[in-house]
Amino acid sequence: MTTAPDTERGVRGWLPWIALGVVVVVVIAWVAWPSGTTSDADRAHDLAAELRCPDCESLSAADSQTQSARAIGRDLRDRIAEGQSDAEIRQVYIDRYGESILLKPEQNGLGLVVWGLPVLFVVVAGAGLVVAFRRWRRTEPMTATADDEALVRSVRASKADGTDQRTDQR
Amino acid sequence: MKHTTRWIALGVAVVIVAFSVVLATQVGNDPRKDANTSHLAGKAAPKFTVETLDGATLSSRDLAGKTVIVNFWNTWCIPCKQEHPELTKFHARHNDDPDFVFLGIVRDDTKAATERWVKKYGDDWTIATDPGGKAALAFATRGQPETFAISPDGVIVGYQIGPSSVNGLEQLLSAARGEGT
Repeated sequence: MTTAPDTERGVRGWLPWIALGVVVVVVIAWVAWPSGTTSDADRAHDLAAELRCPDCESLSAADSQTQSARAIGRDLRDRIAEGQSDAEIRQVYIDRYGESILLKPEQNGLGLVVWGLPVLFVVVAGAGLVVAFRRWRRTEPMTATADDEALVRSVRASKADGTDQRTDQR
Repeated sequence: MKHTTRWIALGVAVVIVAFSVVLATQVGNDPRKDANTSHLAGKAAPKFTVETLDGATLSSRDLAGKTVIVNFWNTWCIPCKQEHPELTKFHARHNDDPDFVFLGIVRDDTKAATERWVKKYGDDWTIATDPGGKAALAFATRGQPETFAISPDGVIVGYQIGPSSVNGLEQLLSAARGEGT
């Protein structure tokens, strides 16, 4: 039967985990939450930052000054002014250039695996830590047996006498 | 419960290996993979408007119903210089065909440099500049030279990334005319 103090102790044991969970959720929400309204220019810049400059391998269209990158910037502003959504604009570029035009993988299909696996890794590793902590908590503290205590007493006594009784016993 | 930790460690290892495999093979975002392909093949040719050297506007609408070879090039690109004699030969063969248009669109270069080039080499096919690079973007070019064949019904039926040869251009033209290769 569970008594009130037991329940209280159980809740208190979970408090650090609950606090940790709250902190993680708050941090993720704070990082992921869209901050206010974005202007059309900001949207165009953000989209350009997602697109690879077609004639320079490792730069985004936002970071490059090639003619293609500048043309992409103008095209993005035109499409936003026409009312196209970010997803529609991305799709236009994927249709033209293929998935490789995106600097980051899409968050669907196989691309979802790339986003999902690190999360899965964290969850599995966290579960491993929980199991390990529980196992350590279950391990009973070592206590000395009566034989151990007798042995210690005899060693102390022999040291006090200046002889080692264990040696004498052999 | 006895082997829980071992199973979890195995799970973590499997996840790491899977993640590595996905990243290694991934996800179609290697730019080199698409470097020599055009995703426009088989699709309707993009609408575009360019400016010929005499200042006239030429749009894709003006080319409707014709077989078109579009060559993106410029004056400073070495492969463009390499393919230039081939373009000249090819155009000379088909210059008299009223249903065929050979269009050179200048990519990432100035009109003045283009005019000097045309004066020097005497190119007599249609050469146009691409203000703002819109046509080059519409054709999803990644550089120059790139050449596209457009059928009379406005579909991109073939392309060549890099310098073209006369034989390659003939194959593109045959494909655009629906003659097969």
